[in-house]
Amino acid sequence: MKLRLLGFFLLAGLTGRAADLPVLWAERVKTVVAVEYYTETETDRRPSVCYGTVIDHNGTIILPPVAVNTRVTPSQLKEFKVYLPGSSQSVPGVYLGQDSLTGWHFVRADKSLWPDLVPITTYAAKTAGEPALAQEVWGIGLRNKDEDFAPYLLASRVALIQSLPQRTAIALHEVAGPGLPVFNLAGEFVGLAASSFGQSFVQFTRTDRGGSPVILVNVEESSAFQLTSEVLPYLGRVPTNYFGRPLAWLGASGLQPVDPDVAKFLKLDGQSAVVVSEVLEGSPAEKAGMKARDVLLAVDKAPLPRLKPDHVVVGYLEREVARRNPGQTMSITVLRGETRLELPVVLGEEPRLTTEADRKYYDRIGLTAREFVYGDAVGLRVKTTNLTGVIAHFVKPNSPAAIAGLRTDDWIKEIDGVEVRTFADAARKLDEVEADQQRAELVLLVGRGNETALLHVKLK
Amino acid sequence: MLRFVVPALVLAGPARAAMSRGFNQLFDAVVRIDVREVAFEDGAKRLSASIGSGVIFSKDGLILTNAHVASPRAVELSVTLASLERVSAHLVGWDHWTDLAVLQIDLAEVKRRGLKFTHADFGNSDDLYVGETVYAVGTPFGLTRTATRGIISNNRRYFEDSHGVNGYETGAFNTWLQTDAAINPGNSGGPLVTEDGKVIGISSRGYLGANNLGFAIPVSTARRVADGLVRNGSITRSYVGLVPRALQDFENFYSLALNTGMLIDNVDRGSPADRAGLRGGDILLAINGQKVDGRFPEQLPPIQNQIASVPVGTSLKLTVKRGASVADYSVVTEKLESQVGEEWVLEKWGLSVRKVTRTFARDHQLDDANGVQVIGVQPGFPADVAGLSRGDIITKINREPIPDLATVQRTHAAYVAKPQPVLVEALRNREVSLYILKP
Repeated sequence: MKLRLLGFFLLAGLTGRAADLPVLWAERVKTVVAVEYYTETETDRRPSVCYGTVIDHNGTIILPPVAVNTRVTPSQLKEFKVYLPGSSQSVPGVYLGQDSLTGWHFVRADKSLWPDLVPITTYAAKTAGEPALAQEVWGIGLRNKDEDFAPYLLASRVALIQSLPQRTAIALHEVAGPGLPVFNLAGEFVGLAASSFGQSFVQFTRTDRGGSPVILVNVEESSAFQLTSEVLPYLGRVPTNYFGRPLAWLGASGLQPVDPDVAKFLKLDGQSAVVVSEVLEGSPAEKAGMKARDVLLAVDKAPLPRLKPDHVVVGYLEREVARRNPGQTMSITVLRGETRLELPVVLGEEPRLTTEADRKYYDRIGLTAREFVYGDAVGLRVKTTNLTGVIAHFVKPNSPAAIAGLRTDDWIKEIDGVEVRTFADAARKLDEVEADQQRAELVLLVGRGNETALLHVKLK
Repeated sequence: MLRFVVPALVLAGPARAAMSRGFNQLFDAVVRIDVREVAFEDGAKRLSASIGSGVIFSKDGLILTNAHVASPRAVELSVTLASLERVSAHLVGWDHWTDLAVLQIDLAEVKRRGLKFTHADFGNSDDLYVGETVYAVGTPFGLTRTATRGIISNNRRYFEDSHGVNGYETGAFNTWLQTDAAINPGNSGGPLVTEDGKVIGISSRGYLGANNLGFAIPVSTARRVADGLVRNGSITRSYVGLVPRALQDFENFYSLALNTGMLIDNVDRGSPADRAGLRGGDILLAINGQKVDGRFPEQLPPIQNQIASVPVGTSLKLTVKRGASVADYSVVTEKLESQVGEEWVLEKWGLSVRKVTRTFARDHQLDDANGVQVIGVQPGFPADVAGLSRGDIITKINREPIPDLATVQRTHAAYVAKPQPVLVEALRNREVSLYILKP
């Protein structure tokens, strides 16, 4: 609360143009909404509230990446509701999916609300440019549901602008609710507030190798915002499916930045580089001849920029992949030993994701079985060409499965001594077990890390 | 040196009346062992001192003690005889799997100084009954020559620990004698004896925070291991890669008669058993035609030992039940290795390392046994400044692989002679990073 008061106080000391602010406020508050939805898990149903910005005249709203837990699959998201600031009335919303490049979740509000919404593009600056350091900026915060999402003013000054790798301004203090727009004193849109968690945890903290990160804790307001150059060009990326496919795939994993000492040793002046820890089996990178421990230097001949902190360059490279389409060629310069090589990689389509995998919950056993996908094989270091078994995606506490010692993410390889080849196999078998009330036991062979163990699930 | 601190509630002194001649002879054969050993932790070489116990078991001054008392890290071993005279000793060999080590008193020194010692006799640990009176003799908390009394609480205790002996594996190949005779830190390596003074075990460990739950290695195991150590300096065992589990409760599921077979919980990836096609969930019915009974946990060590005892490279015929079918698999044994490799400190870098072993590589899903593991860094030294930390695995130095410790030692020596930046490639979790060690 103190910070907000301070915000008002600062504004009181602004120049003559501040007089326009009430007018600007009344118009711009129409660009924001609150969105509520339910997450249905195996055992409970939880509401979540997040904030969104309107991007077009068709009621399309973008939510920040952290608005939805990454472990949740879209089929578990229910009952989207869209609220105007200061209103206790909602209209239904439809979840459209997540864009892979920006990470935004897209929601479309019911038509009845469209007349009340104003797209943020309305207030895009006429001239391109970034806010200057020390410039005054302001934004909108929204109170909680019990206060009808009442809008309130936040204001601050730009303290720092960095490429993380997105152009990001960090203000002196909180300047808008996460996912909500930030304006200059002329009322021009200057950026979209990032979330305090998630991105900020990674980006706005110093993670020196071995050092402990500092965590920003205000989840309702943010003092960092991505500039319009990171927002306006991407508003057209409305996903046509939940997962934002097509997803470009390189298949080089465990990317680690080199620090300036290493760069100097490798005679890389004024640029950065990343080390590839693993080249995934069957991936475009593998097909292009990339090897584990190759040092990636440039994309389409453009050297990887030296960004601060060091690890930001990894995000830069990942975005270079994400902004392209499967089938496109990406030329990557690598350093192998002391030799430079140019590898033209034809990007592929990302294999089926965990969130896309089939899954089914068995209440009597206390287990959600999930299809074994490519990423599981990579995580377990097994051949990705032969995906068998299922993953224990959820184990209900104190259930027979939990008592037998089954843990989340265990790899179920055999059920009752019979090898599980596909998800359908497992589902058939588990359906049978679940339906048979006479059945007293179930034996699972599970893999955990590098080992296997036999678990005796007692159903009675 | 024991791995717990438990204040003993009952410190029964030696009951004079019960002391037979045999007991006196035994008492004179028990020694205190003072150890100075080197540790390579935190990027520096440090010496530490500890006290343990041992028992002389031969005329030529061979002493049995624990592997966690005397290891190859010991730089100075001195033995206090019954006469209270101190004499130096050297390590003949150690075996962490059974937590046993053999020392030998410096006989030349004994002769020069005109010292005398006596040796203890071995009893039979196989026919002990639960409830039989036993005595533990040793140096608890440095209290030289202390005897405590108790009974055999269990004569076949299963007790496996993957880091039990200073980080090394122990207990897979033997069962233990459990006793309520007070065993305290410092008792380690001392004998557990019957009333007539015959050695039936080597006191080794106890439960932290428990009352009088002490464990000793049975002398049947100790004699076998001591023989091997005296003969070869080490014990070589065979390995196939089976992780056993008691079959208890699973007989119905596998449609097995009681007391038949041993459950294979896991097959180490890349091990001989894995290559032969065995998998977790299989039932081992017989080894070379000899039936196996692994129904209860305490039956597992003898089975493991049966496999371990064949010469390395032996082809074993394993009869295995999988589902309804039974088949024979031929598995050629490899040499058993610890997950803990040789350690060293690269002092100018402030970097303590341990060689990656085949077993470590297998457990951690590394491609091969190349490299060294970082076990400590000294703050402010090049390794720390570069960002290396404990647990990292250094896989290359100046772009060269690291097949052995000598490779790292050579690079370090070159750096000491002429300091210039060194490029280090290391794995953290599974991610590869580069580091520069600079002067």
